[in-house]
Amino acid sequence: MAKQINLTLKVWRQNRGQEGKFETYEAKNIDTDASFLEMLDVVNDELTLKGIEPIAFEHDCREGICGCCGSTVNGKTHGSHERTTLCQLHMRHFEDGQNVVIEPFRATAFPVIKDLIVDRSGLDQIIAEGGYVSVKTGNAPEASTTPIKKEMAEAAMDAAECIGCGACVAACPNGSAMLFTSAKVSQYALLPQGHPERAQRVKNMVGKMDELGFGNCSNEYECAVACPKGIDVKNIARLNREFIKASLTSEK
Amino acid sequence: MSIKKTMLSSIGQKLLLATSGLIMFLLFLIPHMGGNVLFLFGPDIFNSYAYHLHQLVPVVIGIELLMLTSITIHMIMAFRVVLANRKAADKRHTLKSSKERSLAAKLMPVSGIMIFIFIVKHLLDFKFYEKTEIISEHGDHMYNVYAMVLERFQGDPVHLAFYVLFMVAVGFHLSHALQSSLQTYGIYVPRDGSKIKLVSAIVGWGMAATFAIIPIFAFII
Repeated sequence: MAKQINLTLKVWRQNRGQEGKFETYEAKNIDTDASFLEMLDVVNDELTLKGIEPIAFEHDCREGICGCCGSTVNGKTHGSHERTTLCQLHMRHFEDGQNVVIEPFRATAFPVIKDLIVDRSGLDQIIAEGGYVSVKTGNAPEASTTPIKKEMAEAAMDAAECIGCGACVAACPNGSAMLFTSAKVSQYALLPQGHPERAQRVKNMVGKMDELGFGNCSNEYECAVACPKGIDVKNIARLNREFIKASLTSEK
Repeated sequence: MSIKKTMLSSIGQKLLLATSGLIMFLLFLIPHMGGNVLFLFGPDIFNSYAYHLHQLVPVVIGIELLMLTSITIHMIMAFRVVLANRKAADKRHTLKSSKERSLAAKLMPVSGIMIFIFIVKHLLDFKFYEKTEIISEHGDHMYNVYAMVLERFQGDPVHLAFYVLFMVAVGFHLSHALQSSLQTYGIYVPRDGSKIKLVSAIVGWGMAATFAIIPIFAFII
């Protein structure tokens, strides 16, 4: 049987271009089977009835695969349950009467749009720098024309699991996007299809990452702890290798 | 990408930081530790080591210039990286770090600045300090550096404490730096229970402890 709990929320409220602050709200009679976002839905219903503007938060699939949701809950990105997005975090992990601090994924490169919603388009801009491959035009080639080792395919899939939620950036003490960028670079570097743009891709993506004001990696691995998809720092080592190789070999 | 742009990119700066650090570790810290340890074996061996080292003036000057270059690059890159990181992180974030983030990693800028202060003090203590000359049994004119070390530490617990404290900074700095530089070069340093991290901590703290033994020894004998 599901229990019901009461919580005291301290939520970050902010409008674009204005200073924000924490507001305190009571979350009453929350079903412990509810997800964290469902809890916010319940609170928002009550706020609306009271004539208070509901808390803005981003969400889409609510099944942990789209990368839309994400907030820092009690100092931990996505509430810090291993390999769990905020939408998949359930209220049974909270105690009755607990104080819960909810704030956006903060980083200088992630300006707040409203309340808990931040602008993560920086990650999209990094993707746009090289998240594509050249393909043969004409008829679709026979599927097994390009042999790929199973281990490579799996490593590429592991990297491709990244949903671009930005938890790595928020969890990083330096606001760095190295784990995200390394996952994107790796996913293409590991497969033969990604090789035509390989050198240019890593340089462009790193260049864009720097330009957008993301920080530098200091190998503290907080990103990997925070990642709801378990992206490993192995990818950051690979990104560094790719960058060194591209800098030494490619001309442009 | 031009060489300048590559070197001033986030990864490029870290590569310069790692390389200059490793040069100082391999070409200076290790030989310096090996030489200093000879202090424990008495005045004859230690003075003879210092004497023979100074016979190799071109090598010594070469290493000194290389160290000066390395430390300059290391400090410029460290300042650039740390300042960029301060700017990139939102200070209002009530983020709590996990157990993954080591104290050594957090303290890198502090331990780095401490080491710089130490180097200045150490040079004033021993390099730019008047030395007495003695004549060895082979008739060589050599500096009595052994006596100088004794004189600097005996009866001066504050000076000893300063040296030991700053060697703690060296231990912290190296224990993170060694493994972190490998990851920067693209040699995968895993997260949990990594042997590389363990070796890095052992080498870093072992080196700091070895250096610290010398002033302690000079104080107590």
